[in-house]
Amino acid sequence: MTSLPPGLLMIIVAALLPFVPHMARQIVMLAAIALSAYGLVLGAGTHLVWDVLGFELVLYRADALSFPFAVIFHIAAALNVIYSWHDKHWSQHCAALSYAGAAIAALHAGDLITLFIWWEATAVTSVFLILAAGTITARRAAMRYLIFQVLSGVLLLAGAAFYAANTGSIAFTKMTLGDTASWLIFIAFGIKAAFPLLNGWLQDAYPEATVTGTVALSAFTTKLAIYALARGFAGTEYLIWIGAAMTALPVFFAVIENDLRRVLAFSLNNQLGFMVVAVGIGSELALNGAVAHAFVHIIYKALLFMSMGAVLHQVGTIKASALGGLYRQMPFTMVCCIIGAMSISAFPLFSGFVAKSLTMSALGDTGIVWAYLVLLFASAGVLEHSGIKIPYFAFFAHPSGHQTGEAPIGMRVAMGIAALLCVGIGVFPAPLYAILPYAVDYHPYDVSHVTGQLQLLIFAMLAFIFLIRMKWYPPEIPSVVLNSDWFYRWLAPRVGRPLLGAVMGVWAVFLRMLVWYRDMGWAVLDRVMHAPISGPTVPGRAVMVQALLLSLLLVLGYLLLG
Amino acid sequence: MTEKPTQKTADMQKMGRIFTKALLAIAVILAILEVFLHRHGVAAIEDSFMFPAIFGFFAFVFIVQVGKWLRRMIMRPEDYYEEGASDD
Repeated sequence: MTSLPPGLLMIIVAALLPFVPHMARQIVMLAAIALSAYGLVLGAGTHLVWDVLGFELVLYRADALSFPFAVIFHIAAALNVIYSWHDKHWSQHCAALSYAGAAIAALHAGDLITLFIWWEATAVTSVFLILAAGTITARRAAMRYLIFQVLSGVLLLAGAAFYAANTGSIAFTKMTLGDTASWLIFIAFGIKAAFPLLNGWLQDAYPEATVTGTVALSAFTTKLAIYALARGFAGTEYLIWIGAAMTALPVFFAVIENDLRRVLAFSLNNQLGFMVVAVGIGSELALNGAVAHAFVHIIYKALLFMSMGAVLHQVGTIKASALGGLYRQMPFTMVCCIIGAMSISAFPLFSGFVAKSLTMSALGDTGIVWAYLVLLFASAGVLEHSGIKIPYFAFFAHPSGHQTGEAPIGMRVAMGIAALLCVGIGVFPAPLYAILPYAVDYHPYDVSHVTGQLQLLIFAMLAFIFLIRMKWYPPEIPSVVLNSDWFYRWLAPRVGRPLLGAVMGVWAVFLRMLVWYRDMGWAVLDRVMHAPISGPTVPGRAVMVQALLLSLLLVLGYLLLG
Repeated sequence: MTEKPTQKTADMQKMGRIFTKALLAIAVILAILEVFLHRHGVAAIEDSFMFPAIFGFFAFVFIVQVGKWLRRMIMRPEDYYEEGASDD
């Protein structure tokens, strides 16, 4: 198994999927994922080192940091296969499986060039999950998504080139932020991790993807970026600032967003903020926190996207303003959604609690109180948009009159497994703690943590009820909320088009002048040819040109010799 | 169709009342526990009486109020980006 990087097997199988009948397709995919996962058990260490042009390409490096990410990526891939069981066409399965494979292979890249290749592969494979939605809106969003993802890759490649020039090595290890190389790589990671102002692509594209596509998208790209930051830039203090901004800012956008999958995309951004802060702290406890958070986050975020996907699949819309009262038609989906919501809100006994406590404790150890309070504030925000808004507006609020039933069985099974994992990890965190990169002696369930967190959550929920009773809670309005993608979707065309128009206008005038001079030149020449002052007429332009060139040579000859 | 939503609304109001009562009960229990248990947080301010509860309540209200205010600035009609018909 060590002769093949993990994930590559999944990509190979994905390429064969069109030739597999749909009856067997999901089984084949699950088998490929299982086989790839089996490789993780055997493969610790460094394998497959290729010497190319004097540089070492490390295709397969497995260590304590890559392992937990690899485990959860395999789980997410498998959940997605089960969730999309009803889809009989091969195209999305092919994209999703190769996307997961590329992300897993990227985790095992031991050098920056290999990382770059898989980094771009995740972009190229995942874009089809957005395109598959088939709408014009989705196609445009997909193109914007691709531009950003490829830009991230190009920056990574440029950074790798600078890095190689500076150090003579392309090994992907811990870096110090300072020179051009490290900044380029940092920004490349930052785009995929959806740093503030670089986050527009996430909320723009994810909600436009297909029902199953968004579930796959939510798992891999951003968490690959978190992994890359944890490996390359652990302990970089900027990340605490950036991460804190990421936790707090999307909270306000999520309150007023009407598309519930877009609310989840804002929520995803907020969750990444917690992980980025943890990476910024860089202590062993904090890095454990970042990894544990990424692990549980993938499950509950997938669960939330799955439940909203189920609603979209059954009802045909996911706009809060058009939903409500589905608790009776889709009770199972509702229960799963609420389990996901309680997990992300970090209720004790749910998975979010055992992971977020690590980061909060690590942040407490640093003594950076302002960041701690920002994250505490953001925790109330998570409860607001993911804990309450998502289940409330989809399943309760006001009856919308949709006549529907539960989602297909595959969707329900996937949601059920994810929900069980959320509760299971929350109640028995030991197996999760056992695979974290550093040895853990941490007990999330102490009196202070549990009562403190419960106070925060219960009183925040009371605030919600208070606002609803007072009719102060903002109503759902069909609308779009401006985000950082506004700069390139609205501003850039409006500034760029006139600017480009002006430049092209000047260019056209210049071209017209050139044409005029050329025509003038020929006209004068023709006149001289056909009506010379003395001597014979010249029979053609070519002869005239030759005569001129020869005269020029003659003059030059005189000048040089004389 | 016309009958069902009203029935459902009544159902949901009932659930809402039960839910509110349950939450209030837990809140009271937490307040009582706060007196007897020694809860200590990361920051010094966190150790003050019912700090997470007060912080949570006001953070929530603040987020929603800022959101409402933000709507005036950054909320636009659905066809704002002029991408043709919306998906639904």
